[in-house]
Parts: sequence; structure tokens; C-alpha cells
Amino acid sequence: MIEFKDVEMQYPNGFKGLKNINVQIAQGEYVAVIGLSGAGKSTFIRCINRMHDITKGELIVNQTNVHQLRGKEIRQLRRNIGMIFQSFNLVTRSTALKNVLVSFVPEMPLWRKLLGIFTQEEKRKALTALDQVGILDKAFVRVDQLSGGQQQRVALARTLAQTPGIILADEPVASLDPMTAKQVMGDFARINKEMNMTVIMNIHHVDLALAYATRVIGIRAGEIVYDGQASDVTEAVLSQIYNGQQPVEEV
Amino acid sequence: MNFNVLAKRHITLQNGKVVVMKRSTTPLIILIGLILIYFSVQITGFNMEAIIKRIDQFFVILKEMMQPNFSYTTKLWQPLFDTIKMSLLGSILGAIVAVPIAFCASSNIIKNRFIVISSKFFLSLLRTLPTLIVALMATFIFGLGTMAGFIAIFLFTIAYVGKLLYEQIENADMKAYEAMHSMGLTTVQSFRYAILPQVLPNYLSTTLFCFEGNVRYASILGYVGAGGIGLLLNENLGWRNYANVGMILVMLIVTVFIIETISEHFRKKLM
Repeated sequence: MIEFKDVEMQYPNGFKGLKNINVQIAQGEYVAVIGLSGAGKSTFIRCINRMHDITKGELIVNQTNVHQLRGKEIRQLRRNIGMIFQSFNLVTRSTALKNVLVSFVPEMPLWRKLLGIFTQEEKRKALTALDQVGILDKAFVRVDQLSGGQQQRVALARTLAQTPGIILADEPVASLDPMTAKQVMGDFARINKEMNMTVIMNIHHVDLALAYATRVIGIRAGEIVYDGQASDVTEAVLSQIYNGQQPVEEV
Repeated sequence: MNFNVLAKRHITLQNGKVVVMKRSTTPLIILIGLILIYFSVQITGFNMEAIIKRIDQFFVILKEMMQPNFSYTTKLWQPLFDTIKMSLLGSILGAIVAVPIAFCASSNIIKNRFIVISSKFFLSLLRTLPTLIVALMATFIFGLGTMAGFIAIFLFTIAYVGKLLYEQIENADMKAYEAMHSMGLTTVQSFRYAILPQVLPNYLSTTLFCFEGNVRYASILGYVGAGGIGLLLNENLGWRNYANVGMILVMLIVTVFIIETISEHFRKKLM
């Protein structure tokens, strides 16, 4: 359960990224966050795992007040929240398996952390995660040899290996072609259903958002202007979110 | 270069158009160069006569060196290995110690500006100290011998590898690092798993290159009593035993060549 109570987030330069946010997201929901670039979608997502600090209000994730956490507690919170990025953010020089294995680092004893030695059990878990996203055969391939879609799946496997309750996805399909984007969206939907993980996703492709997500939150200029079922989103709602602008159809 | 503004030449064409041409600055530059050479000759006490008279002595020494004393080799192995040992140990330990210092000096990893600036200042301070002077000071502290040479090389390696490493770290791709932070890894853990794999090949290559240079430096360090083959070089030059000097130089050239070839081979593989 994620709860925003009158949340405001102001950047150090004075710009208000989020204003007056009140929203509740239950465990297991699949939420798409849509809006113009710079509207505050990324800020919204990044507040949840304390990559950004909120400046006013309360943000409660699974009964803990995120803003009051310090040092080790923040890392504890982040262990339970997976994050997926537009540019995958993998170590490109390493193999897919090694990238996934990093998920286990915080729980390892110091000497294994330093030397980067992983147990058989950890390797089995990492390979299982790769299998869940269908790229088990690429486990020993260096990430820079993989296609964009495969790289995003490695990132997804890395997050799955963490077994988080919540997955935050920041434009996960923005740098993928339409076919691959659909596959990756399907992966998210499957994980959301099978493992009951909450998925909160920023997305520019409105058609994909409506097809896969169950709930849509529209953000404009740092404020929530729409919050409802994906099936209830109409052209009027979209033009409201996009400030009168019609979303451009994806090619 | 604008000191020729006054010396413009006007050329009038037949149809009355006037073209302004800048005079070439080359003669002036040559003149200044000649004046500077004249003064430097005066200041340094350069003596052409001495060169012409004494130049044959240079060839005498060279000729004696050209007939190296091969029987001297038996006495050379130990100091030669001392030289290699102190540069190897100094390079390895120096490169290891350079990692945490470079970590602290990287502005993209450490957000505390005071730590970053003081680490960078420490590294540039170490780099400014000439190795020979450090070795000399080390002989006062640790006594004559290879220990002093090791310290000098150790400190130089920290400065050299540390500087290049923090520049590598600052230019590294931070995306994976950000992802690891979002997964709940600490700064040190994220550095170990996101940045280190990126900079490792370059770091090893730098260390090898530094080791190459250190073998050459180490052979001179004996001059200030810091052990190794330089000590013998100094002695034999003092005794004017040029055949022995020649032998030492031959050994050094061969050793440095072998080490450079090996290091170059591995550095190419790392790239």
C-alpha cells in the first residue's frame, strides 16, 4: 500500500515538481502514469523509493513514513522496491547473469561482497529470474551484445531477483520498438498478476498504457488531473491531461 | 600576434584599388629567437671551444662502454633483481592503495566537496614531489637500501595511478550506479559492482604502464642510496670503470625491453 498525503516536492532551484498530491495505490495494482514530459511523472515515481526527497506532506509505503527514514532504513525500503529505467542502466561490460546477481549483494557477507563471489543458490535464483523473462539462453552473453528488448528484460530479471513488493518503471519501453515494447509490457502484466507485485509505470505510449494497465493517473504541471480505471479514459480525459494537446499516435 | 599593426604595407593596383597587406612576422620572431639564444649562451657559460677540444673524450668513454665487461654479470644479477623487486612491489601496493584514494577524489561518487578536493590535492602534491627526492628522504628515514627505493616508487605509483583512475571514474557511465542505488546498495557496494567493472581494464593497463616506467626510475634511485642497480652504476662511473658501466647499461636495456614487451602484450589484450 502506497499513500501520498498532501505531498509537495520542490527542487533546490525552487521549481515545484509535485503539488498537492493525494493518492492511494493498493498492493497488486498496475498503474500507468501519463502526462507531458516535465509534468512530474518521474518525480512522482522517484519519491516512492526516496531517490527524491519530498518537501511537504507525508508519503507512506507499507506503513512506513518514507520521509523519516535515514541511511540504512532507506536502503531497507529500496530492497523492497524494484526500479526499471528507460536506458536499462545495466553494467554493459558484464554478462546478463552478473548483472542479475548484483541483486543479492546487500545480503552477502563482506568478504564475498569484496571479491564478488556468489553461491550456487544465488546463481540458481538469478538464472530463475532470467528464465521468468524468457532470456535464460542469454545468461552468459555480455549485455552490450544484447538487443534493447533483451537488455530491458535483463533489467527486469535483476529487479525480480530482488523479489520486491513494488516495481517502479520509469519509461521502460520508450527506447524500444513497438513490437518489443508490447512484449515487455506483457512481461510486466504477467509479473503483476502472477506475483501480485504492484507496478507503477511512467509511459508516453498512451495506447500501450490503456491496453495493459488497470489504473491510469494523469499528471499535469505537478498535479494529478485524472485518476481512474484505464477503461474509463476517453479522448476528453486525454486532452485534459495533455493540456488540450492530443497525444500523438505512435508509429 | 598584433605587434605588426603599425607595419602594414599598402599596395595600389593599376585601377586605383588599395590592398592592405600585413607584413610577415617571421623575421621578427627569428630575431627574438637569436637574441634569446645569445643571452642563454652568456648565462649558461656555454663554451664552443670546450666542446671542440673535449668531444673526443666522449667517444673515448663511449668506446670503452662498447666493450662491456661480461664477467661482471655475475655480480649484477642480485642488484638487478633488487631493482625489479622494489619496482614490482612498489607498483602493486601503490596501485592497490590508489583505489580508495581515487574513490574519495571522484566528485561523481563522493558528494562531500571537502573530501574530494583534499584527496585531489593530496594526489597532486604526491605527483609534484620528484621521485629522486622522495627516495633521498626515504634513505634518511629507513636507511640505505631497497626499502627507500620501494617507498619512493610506492608513493609515485599512488599519485600516478590515482590521478588517472579518478579521471576514469569521473567519466564512467553512472546509469548502472544509479540503478544499484535504487536497489538498496550502499555507495561503496554500487561503486564495486557498477563502476569498477567499467574502469578495471584501464586501471590494470595504467598499472602495468606505471610498472614499466618504475623499472626505469628504479635503476636511477641507487644514485641517492636507495638500493638496486643504480648503486653500482654510480660506483663504476665514479671509478671510471666504463666497461662495467657498459655492462650495467646492456643489462638494463635488455631488462627494460623484456618488461616493456610483456606489459605491452597484456595491455593490448586488456583494451
